[in-house]
Amino acid sequence: MNGNIYKAAGLAVGILVGLIIAAVLIVIANKNRKFKTEYDERQLKVRGDAYRYAFYTVVIWEAILFILAFGEFSFPVSAYILHYAGILAGVLVLSGYCIWKDAYWGLNNNRKRYGIILVIAGLLNALPLISLLTSPQNSDFPYINVLTCVMLVAVGIELLIKHMIDKRAEAAEDEA
Amino acid sequence: MKNLKLKSARAAKDLSQDELAKICGVSRQTISALEKGDYNPTINLCIAICKALDKTLDELFWDP
Repeated sequence: MNGNIYKAAGLAVGILVGLIIAAVLIVIANKNRKFKTEYDERQLKVRGDAYRYAFYTVVIWEAILFILAFGEFSFPVSAYILHYAGILAGVLVLSGYCIWKDAYWGLNNNRKRYGIILVIAGLLNALPLISLLTSPQNSDFPYINVLTCVMLVAVGIELLIKHMIDKRAEAAEDEA
Repeated sequence: MKNLKLKSARAAKDLSQDELAKICGVSRQTISALEKGDYNPTINLCIAICKALDKTLDELFWDP
């Protein structure tokens, strides 16, 4: 087996640090300062379905990659980017399903704080792209950051649209 | 099938969906789904709603 163990370990440490930061941010973003987001029984059921669909998405994605790799197809980007895109596709399915079925926001979530965190995460992932635009010779194309940014923007847009729909529905409900 | 008995009992108590949801510890959308008949609640949630609205299970959820 060939490879750069230091490069892989560096990425693993990076992911671990990212997870720790995410855990701290979740505690900050929850109203009761708890790590665990609370959902009601209907939301838990919806989220169960959402996780199932997200799982199918990732499995189908990986199966396609497996078949193409078996056929010795070559891709214009590295394999790790394609696997990462599959994970993001699963996250998008999970988030999208939960958003449209009213199971994205937990009972103890502070939506404003979560919104701010989403925007900051999006901006942080956009930074490498900006540095690429300013000095294209010195950097590689930041596929991972761009994919993450696209995913966050997609989730943000879905949340905004759903928020507007909910506001109208609530107003109609109050009038009824 | 819409649960109009639940909706009218809530209105009689002068509670909004959001207020009833907070009392029962669920989201507003869950109360909305119940009233629209889009969700079948567990017995625990039925009891919580009945207690909040001072009604019996029969009065709110029994459909003869």
